[in-house]
Amino acid sequence: MAKQPGKIDRREFVENGLRVVGALGLTGAAAFLAGRVGAADDMVWQIDPHKCVACGNCATHCVLDKSAVVCKHAYKMCGYCDLCTGYFEPEAATLTTGAENQLCPTGAIIRKFIEEPYYEYSIDEPLCIGCGKCVKGCTAFGNGSLYLQIDHDRCKNCNECAIAIACPSEAISRVPAATPYLPKDRDLTS
Amino acid sequence: MTDTNQNSPNLNAPSGPSLTYVPWLVGTLLAVTVVAGVIALLGGDNAPPRENRLAPRFDYSLGGWDKIDPELIAYEQMAFYPVEMREARGVAVGLDDTICVVGDRALATFSADGTPLGRIELDDAPRCVAVDRDGTRYVGFKDRVAAFNADGQPKAVWEPLDARTILTSIAVGDGDVFVADAGNRRVLRYDASGKIQNELATGGGRNPAPPLVIPSPHFDVAVGTDGLVRVVNPGSHRITFFTPEGLYESPLTWGEPGMQIERFCGCCNPVAIALLGDNRVVTAEKGVPRVKVYSADGRFECVVASPEALGATDVTMGETRPEFKLLTVDLAIDRDGRILVLDPSARCVRVFTKKE
Repeated sequence: MAKQPGKIDRREFVENGLRVVGALGLTGAAAFLAGRVGAADDMVWQIDPHKCVACGNCATHCVLDKSAVVCKHAYKMCGYCDLCTGYFEPEAATLTTGAENQLCPTGAIIRKFIEEPYYEYSIDEPLCIGCGKCVKGCTAFGNGSLYLQIDHDRCKNCNECAIAIACPSEAISRVPAATPYLPKDRDLTS
Repeated sequence: MTDTNQNSPNLNAPSGPSLTYVPWLVGTLLAVTVVAGVIALLGGDNAPPRENRLAPRFDYSLGGWDKIDPELIAYEQMAFYPVEMREARGVAVGLDDTICVVGDRALATFSADGTPLGRIELDDAPRCVAVDRDGTRYVGFKDRVAAFNADGQPKAVWEPLDARTILTSIAVGDGDVFVADAGNRRVLRYDASGKIQNELATGGGRNPAPPLVIPSPHFDVAVGTDGLVRVVNPGSHRITFFTPEGLYESPLTWGEPGMQIERFCGCCNPVAIALLGDNRVVTAEKGVPRVKVYSADGRFECVVASPEALGATDVTMGETRPEFKLLTVDLAIDRDGRILVLDPSARCVRVFTKKE
């Protein structure tokens, strides 16, 4: 049968339809995969300091030899106390930097005189193993300005975070990579 | 030719008993695998938390300083008045023994036996309260003081202070109202009409007091029957004395830091003080919550409430989550010498009397 000009036959109609469906399917699949990959890359693990109980699991359950968890200091919250209960043992003999007076087992907190009677405390992160002992001392008596965070310079961002599994208070979850830290003084800052 | 020797062993034929055990062995292995799989599936993420594998030196310990010798406890709790407030902040007692409690956005009053008398809703969150001899209630907000008469009717709202102001305590003297401002590290002396007379504890004058160290908004003030104003310097763990005009009475200052029972623990204590009729001082601490009595010149006398009596446990004292931490208490004393401890965590006023 001769083909009428300006009209498409059934075969062409089916072929064109299949082409359109195929193109749409490919585009959709590509968009879905791109979205999945982007979503995974845009989230990182982090500790909510308001849920953290400083149990010490972070120090030993991270897959890295030295945990990616370190102590951070919310300077806006700190009282800059001479007798800092995050720095000193509960009954330190003297308020000096002697090792026997320090609470931190690895000596990772630096005490610096500012002006009478105030001292600044900062974290020597390479020495900190994230045990949370100072966090307990600071929150038990002080303002709670010391807190634990996952350091994203070191975190491998594992698909299944070992310390998140070991965390007894479910304080570790994925957060947007654009805001990878949950600073404790963010309420004060805002 | 066929071997017909019945006694020769057939090496290719499996033995009878082995054939019998194989299905059982396979079945048992399968069952163990299934059970192990089910346990792994159900127990996986819900398994109890694993202990950390750190050495004991990594554990935080109060070293037993939170335990108090029962011989030192001279008071006992004789009553417990519930306070219907999510966050109670301050307590005071009037001359008629009416108990005033502020918290949330309210001022609640109770009779001496804890019967609720009334409740005034406020337009802001109150932080402290004091009662004058004529029954006037002074309520401190973040940056201003409001006065109510004995019937609860508003009398006046004093001029708001600057943005740094954090009012934490009010004490009433002879015609004066002393207001502790933790934000600006000072005590303001007002007259009864709300006019500022002078400031105390700012470090000026010929005999300047040591600077106030106030790491957290816990800064208390009290006035004794001798007219002197007791101002807590919490970061220095000391009780300092001033005349109403602001003169620093340095010889009277006392207090030392330390975990021992006669000292003030932590980095900023005591968080509250109240005076008995003979100017002996009742103190309250945070961290290791404890209420103690000192002589007027600062000698430790006895314990009113141990951490245990204030609901503290090893868990609560080591708690890092804000919603589970014990809140700091406030103190007041009535005409009979009963010590009233406002316990916001238990949402009550605990009443302590001396043991027989």
